[in-house]
Amino acid sequence: MRRAVGSGLLIAVALLTLAFLALPIVGIFVHTSPGKLLHQLSNPVVKDAFLVSVKTSLLAQALILLLGTPTAYLLATRRFFGHSLAVTLVELPLVLPPAVAGIGLLTALGREGLLGSSLSALGVTLPFTQTAVTIAVAYVASPLYIRQAIATFEATDPHLTAASRTLGAGPVRTFFRVVLPLARGGLIAGLALSFARGLGEFGATIMFAGSLQRVTQTLPLAIYQEFDIQPDGFTTALAMSGVLVLISAVLLLTLRIALTWQRSPSSRSLSLFGLSSSV
Amino acid sequence: MQIRRSRLASLTAVAVLALLAGSTSSATPRAQAAAKTQITVYAAASLTNVFPAIDPHEKYSFAGSNALATQITQGAPADVFASANITLPKTLNQKGLCSKPVVFTRNTLVVVVPKSNPAQIRNIYDLTKPGVKIDIAQSGVPVGTYTLQILNNMNLKAAVLKNVVSQETDVREVLAKVALGEADAGFVYSTDAKTVTGKVKVIKVPAWAQPKVQYGICVVSKSADKSAAQAFIKLVLSKAGQKKLHKFGFLARVKPAPKKKHKK
Repeated sequence: MRRAVGSGLLIAVALLTLAFLALPIVGIFVHTSPGKLLHQLSNPVVKDAFLVSVKTSLLAQALILLLGTPTAYLLATRRFFGHSLAVTLVELPLVLPPAVAGIGLLTALGREGLLGSSLSALGVTLPFTQTAVTIAVAYVASPLYIRQAIATFEATDPHLTAASRTLGAGPVRTFFRVVLPLARGGLIAGLALSFARGLGEFGATIMFAGSLQRVTQTLPLAIYQEFDIQPDGFTTALAMSGVLVLISAVLLLTLRIALTWQRSPSSRSLSLFGLSSSV
Repeated sequence: MQIRRSRLASLTAVAVLALLAGSTSSATPRAQAAAKTQITVYAAASLTNVFPAIDPHEKYSFAGSNALATQITQGAPADVFASANITLPKTLNQKGLCSKPVVFTRNTLVVVVPKSNPAQIRNIYDLTKPGVKIDIAQSGVPVGTYTLQILNNMNLKAAVLKNVVSQETDVREVLAKVALGEADAGFVYSTDAKTVTGKVKVIKVPAWAQPKVQYGICVVSKSADKSAAQAFIKLVLSKAGQKKLHKFGFLARVKPAPKKKHKK
């Protein structure tokens, strides 16, 4: 009897939580008729923002993949003085308010920033450019990939790499032929998360890159701008929100699938955010 | 431990009682007369410095006037709406969302450049030079609309818009990016430029090209304390309020035009 009450309560609380999480999503899709939302997708503001978002996100993720993977491998396989500090540095953008990241990027890479004059000497000015958007996205999204990559590499069975080495494969060959194939599920999961986070980037972008249609205005920035424009802006903002919800959902689903793919006996400790490995 | 816990409990009880007392006292008219209730004022970003100087006791939310108007439309708990134009409060008034607005001050626009003036802007026509990084407010924001009016008046719209690198959601963001030295120039109100005198240089916009910048204020219809809201507006319109506005560089609410001949 008591047990039934207990599980009833459990289900009720879970339902409440799920309803709370689902309600805003439902709100976005039922506030305006689907026809009107679809119609908004041909709005040039939406198209331009979508293209800017996709382009900067792909570039940022390529950057994260290329630089983050070796970094994660090093942090996962070697222990050295300052290791914890390095990991903290990698994780910091995850908890940093995006506005702080924006200020940081401005004071570091802005025209009047730390590296500003050196960059100017090379003829490079970053603020207000698409490169600035890419940098902002890469900065805030990278921890999601690198954390997951570290956890994945740490979970890779060291006996397999050792075996590869004893069988005569060099470290590079071992990495590409043994470690990477073993880790691909985890890495893809990390990349999916990082991509989703990057697509939603707002604060650092608006501070460091500004907002201009076709150049630096990503979907979140366009949503923010359209929201204020009565009467049609709100519908446009809703349509873009719907697009972002769908993309994010697909990315999360990818992540789920990638993680099941990864789940071999050697990587039991793997978890969504690599949290278990850091405990 | 036992003692400490009981003390904590009594402290909590006192705090809860105080909160309850606070919330009930605001409902009784006598307490209201004794301590004026705090109202929430939604005001244009350009009023960020002057409004708290006129009345430091209210709660303020400063942002682009259009963003505030949207929030009020969505039911935000504002008592007073002070906009950097008269059209937004008029629109709200027509929708029954606020009282009939009155003009409480006027303003002018200027161009600001960083103190170091990296693009060497000497006059407004220099803004058309290729490669100048110009920051303006987006067109839905009052100051953005005024900026476009100036550019239209001076026949510079196409040439200047080509150089725009970012469109901000309120005037203070434009000011910040110029003061930081990231943008080469931006259009802001003359009153904004005065708040960062050490960091920017001001380039005047000719009087003939200036748009009509009138600030409108109204009582939000859903306000729970309309008399306090009305009192705030009265204060802004009073001699003291106008004096403060003048001190911060705002213009008299009525343009001192050459007086019309009185029919006697």
